[in-house]
Amino acid sequence: MHALPQLIASTILLGSIYALIAVGLTLIFGVMRVVNFAHGEFLMLGMYLAFWAFTLVGFDPYLTLVVSLPLWFAVGWASYRLVMGPIVHASHNVQVFTTVGFSIALQNLALVLWTADARFVRTDYYAVVVRIANAAFNVAQVVAFGLAVALTAGLFAFMRWSYTGKVMRATAQDRHASALMGIDTDRVYALTWTVGIACVGLAGVLLAPIYPVYPTAGLQFVLIAYVAVVLGGLGDMAGALIAAVLVATVEVVGSYVIGTAWKEVLYLLLFIAILVVRPAGLFGQRGAEALGM
Amino acid sequence: MSGLALAAVFFAGAGLAPLVVRDAFFLDSLVLILIWGTCAAAWNVAGGYAGQISLGHSAFFGLGAYAAALLTTRWALSPWLGLAVGALVATAIGLVIGYLSNRLRGPYFVLATIAFSQVLLIVGSRWRAVTAGSEGIPVPFRPGFWTLGIADKRVWVWIVLGLAVLAYLVGLYLERARRGYQLMAVREDEDAALSLGVPARRLKVAAICVSAAFTAACGALWAQYVGFVDPFYVFSVDLSVRFALATIIGGLGTALGPFLGAALVTTVETYLRAQFGGIGAGLVGIYLIIYGCALIVMVRWLPQGLVGWIAERVRRRAVPGAAS
Repeated sequence: MHALPQLIASTILLGSIYALIAVGLTLIFGVMRVVNFAHGEFLMLGMYLAFWAFTLVGFDPYLTLVVSLPLWFAVGWASYRLVMGPIVHASHNVQVFTTVGFSIALQNLALVLWTADARFVRTDYYAVVVRIANAAFNVAQVVAFGLAVALTAGLFAFMRWSYTGKVMRATAQDRHASALMGIDTDRVYALTWTVGIACVGLAGVLLAPIYPVYPTAGLQFVLIAYVAVVLGGLGDMAGALIAAVLVATVEVVGSYVIGTAWKEVLYLLLFIAILVVRPAGLFGQRGAEALGM
Repeated sequence: MSGLALAAVFFAGAGLAPLVVRDAFFLDSLVLILIWGTCAAAWNVAGGYAGQISLGHSAFFGLGAYAAALLTTRWALSPWLGLAVGALVATAIGLVIGYLSNRLRGPYFVLATIAFSQVLLIVGSRWRAVTAGSEGIPVPFRPGFWTLGIADKRVWVWIVLGLAVLAYLVGLYLERARRGYQLMAVREDEDAALSLGVPARRLKVAAICVSAAFTAACGALWAQYVGFVDPFYVFSVDLSVRFALATIIGGLGTALGPFLGAALVTTVETYLRAQFGGIGAGLVGIYLIIYGCALIVMVRWLPQGLVGWIAERVRRRAVPGAAS
């Protein structure tokens, strides 16, 4: 098993990237009970932002990451006010179709503006590889891994210990009781959505040095993120992180054993199986998914 | 009654138009409107009446298209047989998905259906031994009715119209029959319906099966009409969204709505493609931007769709005392 160290390294690096996308999704899913089908499109926009900042003004993606932070909060807040806010109390069908419509509109806006060409951010260090033991690491992947862990840990701490985080968790548990306790639940939803979108937008910027960007780039990542979110238990930050690594394991081992062509089938079947057998996820309480659903 | 009259005008118009108009472009649009309308009506049985929102219905459409294409190319069998086989396979899979729908509610069901159509997309594009892989299957043109090699677009209009009327009648049945009311009760509140003795689970499974069979039949006819099956098109999420979109614009849970929605959506798409499409034009995606926005706007402000809006107008006029 000379390939084992490399398999483990690839799994951890890939898993951290999936986790990065999944944390924002699980936050929105957990607190607002909304499946955001437009999540991948914000990832795609983040990748395009990094690409254009790099191509037009020569910003390194990691510089863009810092500079664009306020921008992502603005994008999140504006999209909540315009699109999500009015339907946050509507039925699930309305929410599903609103985010699906949002996803189609954003995807094709990118198609019209920037064509369907796959574009790459070619930094000086894109091919730099670090070797430890028998495993090879791409520098950009290592950075993405570090930031993903930091972001997830930060979000986890925020939800657990800050007052705002407690308010958000209370709203997630029971929106009516929270409102009775004087919590402005609409503001909580606005904040949740904004933070979730900011997370995925930043994730997009972070992925730009590793993956090519095109208008439908978000879809492949977000499908995996859904798997991680459901597997981890809705709204469970740490669960999403562990589940993301699990999904990456399936993918890495699957492509090593049966080839890359069929790896997607593996995790999609895994996804359907989890949905059917344990919709509350590995760590969630049985039946929790039916509450508020 | 006004709904029936409107439907009669719509279907009679579609059936008689080929006698008057010979323009190939018009007839082609009419065939496509009827195919997409039937798909939307089929989607409506599960999504509208039963409330089982699926964004993976392209899976059934693709199954039908592949069944017809494979049976004709590999064993030189009739595409009509392919249509039947596709519909049967789709019903069997609908049975499985229907049982899943009893375990999955709301967004979970939507996610499972998307995942399912993606699995079929990968199988269709990668299982080269059976499906010819990602390059797709060209369907040979063998003249004759039994082989569905029909050059005359007028005949196509009538064939597709037959299926469309059948799909409409299913919707009409659900709007009037006891089963339909039970199904809608399940959609509104499954637990309440169950407690009243409505066989909620069986009804949902049946609705999904009927919906799947009709969608597969459309896929089989579409494959023969267009003459080419591309896995990335027939199994795409975009196609599933198209079925849902036409239904929502026309009117969710109404018999005629899906057809009106499909007529509007297909016409707008054809117009915008002609206007902004063409080689080198970067604006082909514009109609999809409009679709996306239309979807957001419709579900928020006009959840009853066109049919609901028209019915509202008619009702207001019928009761003159109410307005003044």
